[in-house]
Amino acid sequence: MDYSNRSQTATGQGLSFWLNAFALAAVCGSLLEALYWQIFFNELPCPLCQLQRVALTLAGIGMMLNVRFGASPVHYAIILASALGGATASGRQILLHIAPGDTGYGSTLFGLHFYTWGFISFVVMMVFCAVMLCLDRNQLSEPRVQLSSPPQLNKRVAIFLVGLFFLIAAANLVSALMVCQFGACPDNPTEYLWKFWS
Amino acid sequence: MIMMLPFLTALIAIGLTFRGERMPTIISWSITFLIFLVWLNYHMSDKLNISL
Repeated sequence: MDYSNRSQTATGQGLSFWLNAFALAAVCGSLLEALYWQIFFNELPCPLCQLQRVALTLAGIGMMLNVRFGASPVHYAIILASALGGATASGRQILLHIAPGDTGYGSTLFGLHFYTWGFISFVVMMVFCAVMLCLDRNQLSEPRVQLSSPPQLNKRVAIFLVGLFFLIAAANLVSALMVCQFGACPDNPTEYLWKFWS
Repeated sequence: MIMMLPFLTALIAIGLTFRGERMPTIISWSITFLIFLVWLNYHMSDKLNISL
């Protein structure tokens, strides 16, 4: 095997790792923000909001795979497919609320509803994949081999992010159970169907 | 239709990555994505009572 571009690949791996880690942290932040609004402002997620949470989690899995196992075209395909699905759900919700007298669903953040932010986020993810596929081109064209063991800091960051992502996904599972139980979610939820408190 | 199912399969996928299993994670992601698409189709075509 030719190791002539070893240092370049190692540098590319580092940049790829940190950009994917940042993207995964952003996904975790978005999901946490949605949970914060749900818990502290009692804004329960509608069915399309739940779908967008699933799409965010699905895209986050692609980023997590890049962080944990190194960049791969399959991982970027996972992010792209998830972002496309999420953009479809949020686009549908934006179109639903374009009507006279309709003030939209839920609160706004910096003047935009959460589903509008969701649509922007999914489009940004698609641009992210386009940029990353260019940046990682050398790494992606080579066989998936670990040239050197990753730095200790990268390992710790990866463990922290995957752990945080797991906890957020678990919280979303509990939330979905409380809002929808084992059936279809209410169109306009105003109270939890399942409560762990009186 | 069980709405919490994709959250459960996504959680399993993340857990599998934590254990270092790449291919089972991708399979679990695929199952989650399939459920997501079924769910998306349902909500893209039904009459949601959230507009007005």
